[in-house]
Amino acid sequence: MSLPVIFLVLFAILLVVLLSWALRPPAREPRPALDVFEALRQSRHSSRMSHILQALEPHDTEFLRSSGHAALMQTIRRQRRAIALSYLQQLQDEFEMLLEISRLLAVMSPEVMTMEELERWKLSLAFAANCAFLRWKLRLGLQPFSGFALLSNMAYSFARRLEAATTRIAEAAVRTAEPAGPWHENPGGF
Amino acid sequence: MVEPLQLQTAAWALTTALELSLFVQLLRRKLARIYPFFFAYLLSAILQSAGSAALYRYPNIDKPTFWKIAWGMQGMVVTIRALTLVELNRKVLSPYIGIWALGRRLLLGVAAVVIVYDLLLSKGQWQWLVLNGVRGLELAMAAVIVSMLLFARYYRIPVSPLQRALAVGLCLYSTFYVINYSLLEKVLQQYAVLWNFLGMFAFIASLLVWIGAVRRYTAVEEVRAPQTIPAELYGTISSEVNARLILLNRQLMQLLHLENRGQ
Repeated sequence: MSLPVIFLVLFAILLVVLLSWALRPPAREPRPALDVFEALRQSRHSSRMSHILQALEPHDTEFLRSSGHAALMQTIRRQRRAIALSYLQQLQDEFEMLLEISRLLAVMSPEVMTMEELERWKLSLAFAANCAFLRWKLRLGLQPFSGFALLSNMAYSFARRLEAATTRIAEAAVRTAEPAGPWHENPGGF
Repeated sequence: MVEPLQLQTAAWALTTALELSLFVQLLRRKLARIYPFFFAYLLSAILQSAGSAALYRYPNIDKPTFWKIAWGMQGMVVTIRALTLVELNRKVLSPYIGIWALGRRLLLGVAAVVIVYDLLLSKGQWQWLVLNGVRGLELAMAAVIVSMLLFARYYRIPVSPLQRALAVGLCLYSTFYVINYSLLEKVLQQYAVLWNFLGMFAFIASLLVWIGAVRRYTAVEEVRAPQTIPAELYGTISSEVNARLILLNRQLMQLLHLENRGQ
């Protein structure tokens, strides 16, 4: 049997595996549309990045070593690693929430932007991989780091823009729903 | 001990009985109108069984004519199965206009790539072109079904139990056909009767999945079209969401980068 035919057989087997995976119920139940948009309005964790990073400032712990409190320094660093891990989890949750919103939007839209969808797929893969990598590095012992004020400001600015945009979508959805009346048949939807 | 040929005849009889049972169920539940191509596919499979039985009654028929009739019937069944697949995809995705527009292109792309790859294996020999063409089509159908289900899962599009069962049955049969044909082609020709029997067994399994789903079918399964938002609004929000995702990813990259520097 030639190599290309072996590939075909392997591909067929892979399809059966993917089929069984695709038929499994999702790990998390999708949130009703209203909840998703409500969540989008809530404050975002990425906008708190500067506070988190300030807490991880290396000088905060280095002076403890020089003053002879090495054990205390280790304890504080351990606690800060836990904070960083928790923060990372929040970032991931926020990312997943945004993906869920984008999926919901695509489902409701009469036209889907292929490039943006592809970009999101790529991003979600990259983000998941980076998150897993960073989480393991943190667990193995992260050195404190600094210098994220600019990024934090950017996050805040994007958060504001997104908030304004979601307000527009809510208004438009209400306008679309009013004349026909199907709004009342779809209490969870926009 | 039961001879393989007797087993095959028994499997053939069982297949026809199950096909007829499904045929009756589809008519009783009025599903023939909702899934006309699936109904036509089942009808074509029943006709193929009858045609094959009739062919074997004439042992004097010359080989090329036998070959043409047999492959003609197979071609008809495969074509109608492909149309059933289109019908299924349309049923699942078309209520979502934007998703359907994207999914249609994606699924066509998947099918085209698989068929072209398989046809390239023929290396220009026309006698292999037909056989590989059918295998390519079967594999493309399986790939399209899996892609559609993954697509629906990603966008959290509901797939009714009957649609799910149709997809599973079609996909299992197609993948088994590809594995069966690819192994039989070069490796296991001495076990041809056994492999033919296993092929029928795969189809029997598909028929049982379909019969079970049709028996449990309720009209409530049919999905209503969701409420839509203007395309421009989607464009605006979509760009915003993407920008935000990029930002989050960049933040993570910076974390990684600085953390590496800190080590």
